[in-house]
Amino acid sequence: MSSPVSAPTQCVGPEYRSESQKPIATVSTPVDVDTVTVLPQTPQLIALLSIIRNKDTQRGDFIFYSNRIIRLLVEEGLNHLPTVEHTVTTPVGRPYEGLAFQGKICGVSIMRAGEAMEQGLRECCRSVRIGKILIQRDEETARPKLFYDKLPEDIADRWVLLLDPMFATGGSAIMAVDVLKSRGVPEERILFLNVLASPEGIRNFAVKHPKVRIVTAFVDPGLDEKNYIIPGLGDFGDRYYTR
Amino acid sequence: MPASAPPNPEAGTSHVVVAGADDIIAKRAHYAPPWADVSIIGIAGSSGSGKSTLSQAIVNKLNLPWVVILSIDSFYKSLDEESSKKAFRNEYDFDSPDALDFDVLVDRLRDLKAGKRAEIPVYSFEKHARLDRTTSIYSPHVLILEGIFALYDPRILELMDMKIFCEADADTCLSRRILRDQRDRGRDIEGIIKQWFTFVKPNFEKYVNPQKNVADIIVPRGVENHVAMSMVVQFIQQKLLEKSTHHRAALTRLEIGASSEPLSKKVVVLKPTSQLRGMNTIIHDIDTSSEDFIFYFDRFTALLVEEAFNKIPFVSAEITTPQGLPYAGLRPKGEVSAVIVLRGGAALEAGLKRVITDCKTGRVLIQSNIRTGEPELHFLVLPKDIDQHEAVLLLDAQMSSGGSALMAVQVLVDHGVKVDRIVLVTYSAGRMGLHRLTKAFPEITVVVGNVVQDTEQRWVEKRYFRC
Repeated sequence: MSSPVSAPTQCVGPEYRSESQKPIATVSTPVDVDTVTVLPQTPQLIALLSIIRNKDTQRGDFIFYSNRIIRLLVEEGLNHLPTVEHTVTTPVGRPYEGLAFQGKICGVSIMRAGEAMEQGLRECCRSVRIGKILIQRDEETARPKLFYDKLPEDIADRWVLLLDPMFATGGSAIMAVDVLKSRGVPEERILFLNVLASPEGIRNFAVKHPKVRIVTAFVDPGLDEKNYIIPGLGDFGDRYYTR
Repeated sequence: MPASAPPNPEAGTSHVVVAGADDIIAKRAHYAPPWADVSIIGIAGSSGSGKSTLSQAIVNKLNLPWVVILSIDSFYKSLDEESSKKAFRNEYDFDSPDALDFDVLVDRLRDLKAGKRAEIPVYSFEKHARLDRTTSIYSPHVLILEGIFALYDPRILELMDMKIFCEADADTCLSRRILRDQRDRGRDIEGIIKQWFTFVKPNFEKYVNPQKNVADIIVPRGVENHVAMSMVVQFIQQKLLEKSTHHRAALTRLEIGASSEPLSKKVVVLKPTSQLRGMNTIIHDIDTSSEDFIFYFDRFTALLVEEAFNKIPFVSAEITTPQGLPYAGLRPKGEVSAVIVLRGGAALEAGLKRVITDCKTGRVLIQSNIRTGEPELHFLVLPKDIDQHEAVLLLDAQMSSGGSALMAVQVLVDHGVKVDRIVLVTYSAGRMGLHRLTKAFPEITVVVGNVVQDTEQRWVEKRYFRC
């Protein structure tokens, strides 16, 4: 198993350091889709990804470090939500010109790997409602099939953070958005958060749902013959829950 | 009264060595913590003349945490086998200046005078040998050196601000010595008396008594002498006041250029995204509930600490994924620890623990004196190997004048942490404080959540800890 596509490398580190002071690492593969936001390729993010990608990383570390990445994804995703100007008085009595959050939100996780992202979401949004969708591969047709969903009743009035860590071919994500749209959620109010994406998945998805915003930590160069992201990090759900 | 401090070329030279490369020194604005020029008071006198009691009484009367007593007894030379046998037979002359290691004492005093930490040997009178462990002395404003030969070595006299000689009649001295050596040093009466007439008395005439000639004051009757006591205490208080004035003047000098010069490139302010601005609004709102305040503050500081971790050194790391494929990644170059500037910095600890759960954390308590506004060091515990760590995050909730931040950085530097490895992390900071800090320590990295007015009071810790 080897990858014909090569990933870009560059020096990473803070601006005030010279190129020679920054170590070289593989960074996210550029994609030409404007609904995609890739987290800034900071040395810390690359180091976190290095831990969760490493086959020798134990489950406890995998959970802790992937959760840190997920929290950064959620923080970035929430920046896409609307705000309104709001001035308050501070404890020292001066006015503070700030912002207030607008609009209701909810999370929807694609079972089971997506559920691993719920903790990170709850750490940023304490009592957020979380819906679930179970999509599995239909063995007869080899296509994704919807098995179960449980979503907030007023989901049509909410912004939806769709959670699935691995964005390979995009098959299940495309179907999950179809479900959301059928419940009246407009594409513009859906944010798809994932840890690792592939250029193929992003392109397939953007054709079907051009207005859904995608927030990812990293885009790997491609997929292998079994449609796994490479170099990837293995099966996220297995490494998080059972292995 | 004499001038505030004697000239001290040695201390100045060693400070330059600490500072590093020449070009850095040229640009660096000088900052000296208030303990950089410790006042040393020497108290000499015959054995049993009440030196320790006098020193203790002075410390009690001053009632300040920055006054320490250093006994010259700690600097007895370790004895070789032959001398050791003599000592156990009470035939070794402990009352001659030759028994003391003045070279080490001078070195340690010079270190302290330069504001550095000094390791003081621990001498065992039972074993007649130095023990393996040492005691650290750091950052005293006043040091009382007490011992029969405290005024003996001319190199030490040069470092002293006040020289005291304690006088008592010989009978009193002998009887005190008998009681003390029996009780504290495990000797028998016969041995004590033998020692007195063989060594103590002749040495007194020969070496101890002549120290009177270099003393500033001679105190008869020790602690019972109230006039002498209050003279000494008043002198020390005056010294402390002078130091405080100097320190505050030095802080003011660091303000020059604050309004015209841009902030150092190594000061990184978090990008005000809509989430951060929203969180800031909730944190700043006086009507926010405590639950919400703590929740949003923790969420904010986790991001602040994540950002700080981007400033630590990383190295390339080739790893293999579960698919058996290589990935050119990164890993931190070495250990990263944190130092909490109490109490405010403790509000960032939850955020820190979300990023590294088991981060080694030191703690330092710096309080502003209500009367003078001068920051004062009250408490300090640091990880032992902190000078080996690749990066040290210094956490504080708010920085206004920068006084306590400067002091905290200086403390780390004095413990061997290189300035370019320090990342100060703070929720908010005034421009002036940032300017002062980066002027004094240009290599430091600062990660700050919000840049605010210079005069902002410390309100965050009050809200976070709810008192």
